[in-house]
Amino acid sequence: MFETELGRKIYAAFIDKDRWQLYFAGLSVTMQVALFAAIIGIVLGTIVAFMKLSVNKSGKPTIFSYIANIYIDIIRGTPSVLQLLIMWFVILSSWKNGIAVASISFGINSGAYVAEIVRAGILAVDKGQTEAGRSVGLSNLQTMRYIVIPQAFKNVLPPLGNEFIVLIKETAIVGYVSLRDLTRTAHQMTSTLYDAFTPLIGAAVIYFVVIKILTILLAKLERRLRKSDNR
Amino acid sequence: MIIVKDLHKTFDDELHVLKGVNYHIHQGEKIVIVGPSGSGKSTFLRCLNLLERPTSGEIWFDGQNITDPRTDINKVREHLGMVFQHFNLFNNLTIMENITLAPTKLKLQTAEEAKENALKLLERVGLTDKADVYPSSLSGGQKQRIAIVRSLAMNPKVMLFDEPTSALDPEMVGEVLEVMKELATAGMTMVVVTHEMGFAREVGTKVLFMDGGNILEENTPKEFFEHPQSQRLQDFLSKVL
Repeated sequence: MFETELGRKIYAAFIDKDRWQLYFAGLSVTMQVALFAAIIGIVLGTIVAFMKLSVNKSGKPTIFSYIANIYIDIIRGTPSVLQLLIMWFVILSSWKNGIAVASISFGINSGAYVAEIVRAGILAVDKGQTEAGRSVGLSNLQTMRYIVIPQAFKNVLPPLGNEFIVLIKETAIVGYVSLRDLTRTAHQMTSTLYDAFTPLIGAAVIYFVVIKILTILLAKLERRLRKSDNR
Repeated sequence: MIIVKDLHKTFDDELHVLKGVNYHIHQGEKIVIVGPSGSGKSTFLRCLNLLERPTSGEIWFDGQNITDPRTDINKVREHLGMVFQHFNLFNNLTIMENITLAPTKLKLQTAEEAKENALKLLERVGLTDKADVYPSSLSGGQKQRIAIVRSLAMNPKVMLFDEPTSALDPEMVGEVLEVMKELATAGMTMVVVTHEMGFAREVGTKVLFMDGGNILEENTPKEFFEHPQSQRLQDFLSKVL
């Protein structure tokens, strides 16, 4: 198998000197950053979504709503690479833990997109549900907690899964702050081996397989949600 | 019991839906409101429990000005049951949970009391066997009967009905009207927006005709249908009867 040209290249890129371990170490960094960022993003995004939806007694948006809008605007209006560099070299320049800084940076970035997902999920719950809740005397908060949010949760889960998949790919730029993620590992390997093709395609295949597995799991989850959908 | 004074409602500063409605609803009355669509009858009803905030005017309920911003509207709504055109049962809860949610969360009843009370009410509408299913498995008529029961579980002083049979298949209208008639016989004060003229005639103590954001005519059902005063009402009745 390893006698052909391609075979020798594959052997050198992945098997020789146990190099496959480097890719997996890189994948581990990728997944750690994506996972921590997703957690930060979901918490932050949910808070921001409620800020954005907040209205005062006369139905006008509150100051929190404006703050949320500014945050979402800034995040969506600037490249995530720049956000990462600013976080690493400016805001958290004293921190040495690259994974933590990258997670925070991507978490803040993802929060803006999660906020829109959560907001849409809440708005997608029929207005009649809220009216019915209020009409039996429940407060706005109680109506949200017992009726709207449980229904919004189902709307929100599939797009949140998608957001996680997007994050896995987006973290491929953490090499900018000298983190050795999967992409960076493959990139460095090209100069070690004097071969660009094999390590780069190899990394692409690894990303693809991981994401394909997640997509299948997500589709399963979506099907289950729809089956138990009581609407 | 409910006094409405010079009630106005405009939407987005241009659509003037209610133009100075005055009305007095007494305990035990069954007020039926009819009128063409866009006449403001649903908006009027939704103002009574402040699902719509009136632009100006006052609504007094049991001697309390509920349009006063200092009024705890949640407390007031406990006494005002509302039944919607599209049922609006809580989709994420079982029928039993739909009925017991408000009484228990508002700490009016213990979980056991609420459940016992719910079972009694379900028996009244003949749906005891549906206690543990979700709303999606019910027919429209069943949903609406449950919606009525959900409101009754709060022991309201008044029941508001916003076109309760308009979204139903024809053969299910009867079962819902039956429950409403029974409720009327039991002495409940009711305000009903409907297109069911038969119900208005049979159950109503007063029938109101709304058009163009105001109450144009008010009378006992007999007079209302047999001797309509205004040309507008005569035209309307000739089309719907």
